[in-house]
Amino acid sequence: MRLMAMFACFLVWVFLTLSSLAFAEQDSTGKESTGKEITANEGRVLSINGAVNRAVIDPLFKAFEAQHPDVTIHYTESNTRDLYERFLSEPETRADIIMSPAMDLQFKLANDGFALAYQSPELERLPSDSYWRNELFGFTYEPIVTAINTDILAADDLPLSREQLLNLIRKKNHLLDEKIGLFDIKKSGIGYLAWTYDGQQSRSYGRLLEAFGNHQAQLYTDTSSMLQALLKGQVFVAYNLIGAYSYQWSEQYPWIKTIMPTDYTSVIMRTAFIYRDAKQPSLAKRFIDLLLSPLGQHILANQSGLTPISPKAVGPYSRDALSKLPHGIFRPIPLGLELLIQTDDAKKQLIYNEWDNAMGPLSELLSSP
Amino acid sequence: MPKTTTSLRRQLILMVSMVLICINVLALWGAHIYANRATKVSYDRLLYGAALQMAENINILDSKVFIDLPVSAFETLALSNSDRAFYAIMSSQYQVLTGYNDLPSIPFTQLLLQSTEKEKFIPIYYEAPYHEENVRFVALGKRLLEADKVNDVFIIVGQTLGARQAAAAEINRMALHFVSLFFVITLLLLLFVIWRVLRPLQAIKQAITERSPLELSPLETNVPSEIAPLLKSINYFMAQLDTTLERLKRFTAEAAHQIRTPLAGLNSQAQNAIDETDEALRQKQLQHILESSNVLTNTVNQLLNRATLTHRYQSHPFSPVSLDQLTKDTCRELVVWALERGVEIEYVGDLQATIDGDEFALKQMLQNIIENAIKYSPNKGLVEVELMSANKLNAAAVVLQIRDQGVGVPDEDKEHIFEYFYRSPDNQASGSGIGLSIAKEVAEHHDARFHLKDNEPTGLIVEVIFPKRTLPKNRYPKPKGARL
Repeated sequence: MRLMAMFACFLVWVFLTLSSLAFAEQDSTGKESTGKEITANEGRVLSINGAVNRAVIDPLFKAFEAQHPDVTIHYTESNTRDLYERFLSEPETRADIIMSPAMDLQFKLANDGFALAYQSPELERLPSDSYWRNELFGFTYEPIVTAINTDILAADDLPLSREQLLNLIRKKNHLLDEKIGLFDIKKSGIGYLAWTYDGQQSRSYGRLLEAFGNHQAQLYTDTSSMLQALLKGQVFVAYNLIGAYSYQWSEQYPWIKTIMPTDYTSVIMRTAFIYRDAKQPSLAKRFIDLLLSPLGQHILANQSGLTPISPKAVGPYSRDALSKLPHGIFRPIPLGLELLIQTDDAKKQLIYNEWDNAMGPLSELLSSP
Repeated sequence: MPKTTTSLRRQLILMVSMVLICINVLALWGAHIYANRATKVSYDRLLYGAALQMAENINILDSKVFIDLPVSAFETLALSNSDRAFYAIMSSQYQVLTGYNDLPSIPFTQLLLQSTEKEKFIPIYYEAPYHEENVRFVALGKRLLEADKVNDVFIIVGQTLGARQAAAAEINRMALHFVSLFFVITLLLLLFVIWRVLRPLQAIKQAITERSPLELSPLETNVPSEIAPLLKSINYFMAQLDTTLERLKRFTAEAAHQIRTPLAGLNSQAQNAIDETDEALRQKQLQHILESSNVLTNTVNQLLNRATLTHRYQSHPFSPVSLDQLTKDTCRELVVWALERGVEIEYVGDLQATIDGDEFALKQMLQNIIENAIKYSPNKGLVEVELMSANKLNAAAVVLQIRDQGVGVPDEDKEHIFEYFYRSPDNQASGSGIGLSIAKEVAEHHDARFHLKDNEPTGLIVEVIFPKRTLPKNRYPKPKGARL
């Protein structure tokens, strides 16, 4: 009996050691220990709330479930703004891990003490500005891009910068009426963040707003509906999209071009934090470890299409690959107290007012569901 | 040489280390206070700066407060990026215009007081727990003027203490490094200085070790003035030792001579007696042999006595001795022997005196002095022994005088009379010549002064002045001129 127990212990040890080495070895050793693991921790559920498409993040979930065969990930997807508001208004629905590209909203939650502090051993391998305290962890590095349906261009050049985009809009004029797609900054957290960051960065911001308003830009709450509209020709220009989706779209549909504006390219980080009162804090920590680990970053760079934060990760969607595409100066949105300005109510009201003035009352009615 | 139980070096090192540790602890404590103050002031300024930038961008427009917070305010706060920050802009009606609406302990009364009484708002700093962390807040008022209306808004900005604690810890760590370095360096320097200062002592030790045991000339080692007395006393001791050794050598030679001469006499007298045929003359010669043998015995006894006394000096502690009783006993023992020589002994005085001393040695002293006096007394002579108190002399308690009526000792001989085997050139009486030297030694051993005076009309007075009885005295004589 004693020998058996010792052997079991040994197997668990082997499993733990190997599982951290490489994903490839996971399957064989994982199977051996599966039976014991299940009896010990049957049916654990790790709940995650996020804004990313399930299909995109799924390879990472699979990797995690392979590491922890008894664990099921329960993922709820929602728009960044809704995610934030539901987190605050419905405490009982709070998941163990919250992931969102709306850095300002994530930061506000962390600043207000909703995040569990966790000094992940993976942090030291990552850039020091990719996390805040040991509470909020950036795991991707994604450019904000403009997507254009080249059908509109005819003989004209692809507008590579904001200035060229403005010229194009001026030139095409009524052709672009109601044919420009934007995030509804009131409904999309990421839209608001990207838009206000533009406000801080560029002098063209005011003219862009005016041009968008004059041409009754269409407003969307998420990237995929905007890209759908672009594909269908409902819009020809989509401004401030998240690069990952847009590039995938461009690959599929070559007439849709993705541009990282050459004047400057905003970069956002998707961030994750563990809820302070998470039901599965240790599982959540393991998930964060995986997310930030070379393995997790590798999966992002190769299977998810999300550019990982780690500059060392290699793959078609790595930072290295990204920097080989034409781009402007990368201006990552700092993950820090500066983000509080984006969450300020007074500031938000000012920006909303500005927005409403430009878009006119009509924009409210025309905005897509 | 007695083993040293306390090391000067160890004591010096111990004290120096203790002083150094005290200084360093004080320095660290000071640095700690300074670190806290400095970081508090500088981080408070950052906080105030952020609040001012917010205040700058609050205006009134059409009777409405218009707030457009600048990014720079938050960038200022982000200088301590690992800290949480909280802020609120409030109207004077306690209404939160923007920011956090549940900030704790806002000093409204002070702010309102400032707004009613003062021209200018000054920042109010305070600490309060918020979101389970201690937060440092600054509260600031701003007066908004439009037409004839006055409207005050309050800006409250707070930040957690991580960065300032880290900065203070950093200063403390640097202070600790510096102080440790300082400690090590000063300690090494002081160790060197101690070694340097104590080196003359080592040098003396070295000089003494290197000498042959018989070399007793003064040490010529160069020493600092503080150690000079030590060297002086060592030299004094060596001089003493030298004298003693010299005396011992002379004594041995003299003793050998003194014993050999009577032996030679005895030898020849015995030879003569063997050869003598006349019975009457032979009887007379044998009588001489007996006398010479007695003198020899006496000399040997005195030498043995002295050896015994020397041994006693080193091994017997003092005990109270009744001096008057001892003197009387000695006189009594000698009275018969004196009468045989036609000399009378008279004990004068009724003083009772007790001193600390060695009874055996004192008795030897008395015996020698009195015997000496008897020997030099003329027929029908009188030896007076007197014990008196000498109140008039502060340092002396008891004075012992032995007066005889002999020929006395001329002044030029008084110095030599204590030398071993010295006998006055015109001295006819038999004697070993060491009795008085022993007496003087005993007296000195008891810290008593030994004087020779002239008696009237003729004769010698031997005066021994015992000091006042004091509690345990050092039995070994102190070297003069040395302070240890």
